Amino acid sequence: MSGLWRGRPWRAALCLGVAAVLVGVLVYPLVAAPAARVGAPYRIGFIASVTGPGASLGTPERDVARLVQERLNREGGIAGPDGVRHEVQILIQDDQSRADVAASLARRLIEQEQVHVLVGTTLSGPSLAIVPIATELRTPNISMASARAIIEDPQTKRMRTWIFKPVPENLHSAAKQAEYLKAAGIDRVCHLYENTAYGQDTFASAKQEFPKLGIRILYGDSFDRFATEFPQVTRVRASGCQAVVIGSIPPAAAVINVAVAGRVGPRKIVHGHGACSPDLIRTAGQAAEGTVMPCGKILVADQLPANDPVRRVNLQLIEEYSRLTGGQPISTFAGHAYDALQWALLGLQAVPDGQPLARVRELARDGIERIRNYVGTHGVMNLSPEDHLGFDPKDFVIVTVQGGRFVLLPPQRWK
Amino acid sequence: MTTRVRSAAEPATTEVAARTARGPREHLPAARRAGPRARLGGVAAFVLLGLWLLGRRLGYGPGEYLQLLVDGTVTGAVYALVAVGFAVVYRVTGVINFAQGAFVMLGPMLTVSFFRALGGAGAVALATAALAAVAITAGLAMAVHRFTLHPARGASALTRIIITVGVYISLQGLALRIWGPRPYVLPAFTTLQMADRLLEVGGVVLQAQSLWVWGTGVVAVLALAGFFEGTVVGKAMRACAVNRTAARLMGIPVDRMATLAFGLAGVLGAVAGIVLAPSTRPTYDMGLDLGLKGFVAAIAGGLVSVPGAVAGGLVLGVLESLWAGVTVAGFKDLFAFVMLILLLLSRPQGWLEAGHE
Amino acid sequence: MRQGSWGFRWLAAAAAVAAVGVWDLVQPGGLARLSGGLFTSDLLIRTGLFTVVLVGLNLLMGYAGQASLGQAAFYGMGAFASAIFTVRARVLGIPPAVAEAWWWPWVVMVLAALAVGAFALVVGLAILRLRGHYLAMATLGLGVIVYIVLRENLGMPHLNLTGGFDGIVGVPRLRVGGVQLWPVQVYFFVVWAAALASMALGLNVVHSPVGRALRALHGSELAAESVGVDVGSLKAKIFALSAALASVAGSLYAHFQAAVVPDTFGFVPSLELVVMSAVGGMSSIWGAPLGALTVLLLEQLLRTHVLGLVPAVSGELEPVVFGAMLVVIMMYWPGGLVSSRRTQAPVWTSR
Repeated sequence: MSGLWRGRPWRAALCLGVAAVLVGVLVYPLVAAPAARVGAPYRIGFIASVTGPGASLGTPERDVARLVQERLNREGGIAGPDGVRHEVQILIQDDQSRADVAASLARRLIEQEQVHVLVGTTLSGPSLAIVPIATELRTPNISMASARAIIEDPQTKRMRTWIFKPVPENLHSAAKQAEYLKAAGIDRVCHLYENTAYGQDTFASAKQEFPKLGIRILYGDSFDRFATEFPQVTRVRASGCQAVVIGSIPPAAAVINVAVAGRVGPRKIVHGHGACSPDLIRTAGQAAEGTVMPCGKILVADQLPANDPVRRVNLQLIEEYSRLTGGQPISTFAGHAYDALQWALLGLQAVPDGQPLARVRELARDGIERIRNYVGTHGVMNLSPEDHLGFDPKDFVIVTVQGGRFVLLPPQRWK
Repeated sequence: MTTRVRSAAEPATTEVAARTARGPREHLPAARRAGPRARLGGVAAFVLLGLWLLGRRLGYGPGEYLQLLVDGTVTGAVYALVAVGFAVVYRVTGVINFAQGAFVMLGPMLTVSFFRALGGAGAVALATAALAAVAITAGLAMAVHRFTLHPARGASALTRIIITVGVYISLQGLALRIWGPRPYVLPAFTTLQMADRLLEVGGVVLQAQSLWVWGTGVVAVLALAGFFEGTVVGKAMRACAVNRTAARLMGIPVDRMATLAFGLAGVLGAVAGIVLAPSTRPTYDMGLDLGLKGFVAAIAGGLVSVPGAVAGGLVLGVLESLWAGVTVAGFKDLFAFVMLILLLLSRPQGWLEAGHE
Repeated sequence: MRQGSWGFRWLAAAAAVAAVGVWDLVQPGGLARLSGGLFTSDLLIRTGLFTVVLVGLNLLMGYAGQASLGQAAFYGMGAFASAIFTVRARVLGIPPAVAEAWWWPWVVMVLAALAVGAFALVVGLAILRLRGHYLAMATLGLGVIVYIVLRENLGMPHLNLTGGFDGIVGVPRLRVGGVQLWPVQVYFFVVWAAALASMALGLNVVHSPVGRALRALHGSELAAESVGVDVGSLKAKIFALSAALASVAGSLYAHFQAAVVPDTFGFVPSLELVVMSAVGGMSSIWGAPLGALTVLLLEQLLRTHVLGLVPAVSGELEPVVFGAMLVVIMMYWPGGLVSSRRTQAPVWTSR
């Protein structure tokens, strides 16, 4: 041993150094942030009608599911109430717009893939087919379809325990249309609707809501969604109605819009919320100018007042969506899918770590039912045991088409 | 009419022989004894009366009926073109080509894509795009026959029909992959824009595109007739339809004729779709409905007969339009099929004289 | 084939089915896990349901040679009958004591089958005079008409019997006494009992004088008539039988799915039944389960495994692959998969 290491100063320094290290090693775990524990991954089943007649609704929904998955991957999943992080995997499936396929997929996702929450599906019929399965297998299900019967038992009028949906119904849309018509001084209308589940429901809703504000439907008729000739136009002209209400989704909504606009003169054309899609403008062109429809705020997010909390959420979604899909404009269906997935995530965020599968599903369900003040794409939503929809009809806005884009029409301009 | 007392011991064969000996129709009830033309007339009268009564309830006058009639001939012309496609293929190959609807869809979809590639404006670009689309659809149709139906030519008719079903499913799926589920826009031929010009003739309002539809229909049918009557290839095809074996013995390459028939069906289907497209918004799934209607029209016309298919298409279009104009919402789709069944029942052996199977 | 041998085959099949059922009952999901998620209880039950329908369809199309493009309509009538008379019993004035009894759905199932069979008999006598493609067309039309009537609430929207476009939800499960025939592992036995029974019925018919009469009819109606076969009545009876079988399958389906939607019974589903029949082998009773299983399995495979291979593509590739496989199967097995040899392989030689 060399003489350099002897001597008091060096020994003191050595003792001090060892002491510092020892103190550090003992104290550090107590003062540093606890290392994040990682819990078991969560699985969300996602069923949409990517192919079949519902494809124009289901494809944007599927795209949003991918968007949310990417976001979750970036952020490392979600955190439970105990701070434990969980990876989230979204399993995307296509039900081809068919009830049987939706039912099979639901059963498979719940039983084989053991998803914790099931989101799906796009259309009402297939969603109704999923209801008994989700209920029997006690898995929370959030639908992206609009029929009331999905969340409410038509016999007992009570909410179905395991089923939720963030999608407004045709009743809300019809009520908003009635509000607009009344303010515009119109009390006699014609109602044309496409011969599908959606179209028929818009007519039924109109028949229920319009009379409440004194609006009479002088003439109501359906048309085939592939039709190119519309004899209904003659009867519209003969009926003496002041406005034409159309219950249809693109492309049929565009085709009939074009047919009607050319031949019914100055009558106002009012669409339902199924026409709240950029496809309408693209495929109806000039004929869509000046038409109005009740839409979710997502469609005119950039025109919302700055203090509207929905604005920020929507703008961010629109930007990410545009990036993911290579510039596609947003539609309301994408918004519904986003809200549905967010509800699922909020529900899962309420589940502490280490629960067995059945318990996770129960707690997630409870978590979803307790959602309050959720700022979504269509408005601020509040769920409760008596309300699995949470949509405030006041959150519908009236939108018109001007210069080839959707423009917000505030009540003072309804004339 | 003599009544024959039949003893229990007499075997069934003599009953049949006896029936034919008495004259073919005497044992039938009166309604069935009337000739098929009379029965058809009866059905037609019944249908038209029903329509008239319903129309009266709505206060329809001759102007409305005329409008409905004219509208019906436009869709009818499209159905006719599709139906002729079915008929041509069936005559030459004996196969009901369920993929016909896919050809009707591919015509406009390809046209939209080519039109965009060529700049998206101008009559020249549109015409070129349409021609290219028709050519490609025809080529595809021929490929379908050559690679799937031709190798299976020994199989039963039903097997070959199912093959065409598989082809339809694949083609529609491919269309979804390529074009997505969105609707597209093909400009009206007259204005070369989305909005078409409206014409008013004698109180009837028409889209200018309707003239194109009629014109194309007439030209197509005439061209087809000229082809079958005037050219060697056309006559050879007719020979195949009449008797395959005899045609083969005469040196006609029957299998190539079959492929060609498919090509023709592709042309007819694509043309039908393209000329209809500006009035509707072509989507990847538009073929199913049109294919089905064309099929119904072809069967109504006897399936083997080209003029029959044309007539069937027009009649279907007109009656469908009249019915849609007078009736309660929701049951409109019903009409084509009720009409069809009544039509078929009025002549169970079918409307074709020569007994093709 | 010797007269009695089909019995042994059938017993073997029944034993195999029972074994599968017991395995799934004892170890739920075990078979599914072992097969990589393919053979789920859901798949097996749907195969059983379609087997019942296809036995009837094969007798009609394969043996009697009568086309039917509207078979899904009878399936739908049975399903809706079971749904309406259980869920909407009150509207129809059926006392709750009856409507909630355990035996009521079974009674409905039987009565519906009889009613649908009778309906088919009457309609059959009218339309079965048609031949070939004309008959196919008429059955297609009939199928679409029934579908539209079901979809339009039977024309009586105020009663809301069929639930319009959205159909009926909440069909109860089948029970015997106090015991519910559920969950799916138990229902498997109910469905396959029906499937095996229908196969036994079909095999019986085929190997009986009636079967020979059917085949004679298929070969030539005139010749059959000339040897004493009552052609018209036989055709109608087979049509009625196939309709009744489809109705029973529909009822079992309603109690399985618990939700009945009209879109499930339109033209395209009827076409799919014909496809299943052809893929399995139309002229064979054994083709029924084979066709059903093949098509359902193929769809299942495409949904779960194609997605795994090419995730970016998602749903759009399924129809393409499915259609292509259908074409290939019909090209190489024109008599259906039940014809064990690739008998009429693509005919590369001229004919």
